[in-house]
Amino acid sequence: MGILNITYAGRSADLAQPLDDDIADADVRRIAEELVRAGEVAGLVVSDLPPNAFRSFVVDRLADPTGTVRIYLRPKVPFGAGLARRG
Amino acid sequence: MSPARVRILFCGVGALGSTAATLCRNLPATLAFVDFDRVEAKNLASQAYTRQAVGRNKAEALRAQLRTFYGIDSQAYPVRLSETNIAELAAGADLLVDCLDNIAGRTVILEYAGRAALPSVHAGLAADGTFGLVRWGERFVPDAEDEPGQATCEGGEHLPFIGLVAGRLASIIAGFVRDGTRTDALVTPAGG
Repeated sequence: MGILNITYAGRSADLAQPLDDDIADADVRRIAEELVRAGEVAGLVVSDLPPNAFRSFVVDRLADPTGTVRIYLRPKVPFGAGLARRG
Repeated sequence: MSPARVRILFCGVGALGSTAATLCRNLPATLAFVDFDRVEAKNLASQAYTRQAVGRNKAEALRAQLRTFYGIDSQAYPVRLSETNIAELAAGADLLVDCLDNIAGRTVILEYAGRAALPSVHAGLAADGTFGLVRWGERFVPDAEDEPGQATCEGGEHLPFIGLVAGRLASIIAGFVRDGTRTDALVTPAGG
């Protein structure tokens, strides 16, 4: 089992219930969207979550020191020199 | 790592790199910078350069600033990091710090670090300034831009967050220099 951490709009929170650690990336995005939209991720309430909000997000899977798999759903971080122009 | 003087090569000294390097100036380390780019006036809003640096190469400008403002000697390489020169640039380095803004350059660093068994730490920012990541090479996969050549922002809108991520990076580098720890970090404006 794996713990899913979701980062969106400057906030980050863990999902209370673990997921299968071999869950497909697409399913991670879909589940995250459903749960965030439903307000079921404590600390990550987004009232106006747009459709496909996590489409371009990255899914990382890392084992913590205890061996627990951590699944991170996060924005891409391509920039070190500056930030992308909005719009 | 022992607290003996180590050599740290900052690859890319734009927003994250210039700020993190400035925050690393007190470490028992020799700092070196590689960047082919020049400081433009618009960079002053988001990078650790002063007006006197405009027009100069970023690596050389940062070296001059550390010397002028803090009396710190460092090294500058005003070239574009590539597969063909990284071995020479990284010679003698104990740590590679990746603050580049393109997947090709990040991959060059990551692959070289793997071949040379050299530690590398990578830092990046999300496009909308809501997220930053610091991750060590053994766990890092470079993210592509949403579109090739994606424009970068020269405004100062995200300067405090850039400082937050750069500060976290500098703190992680300090931990490595102090005792070899390799800490990753997810950084959000809310502190999550």
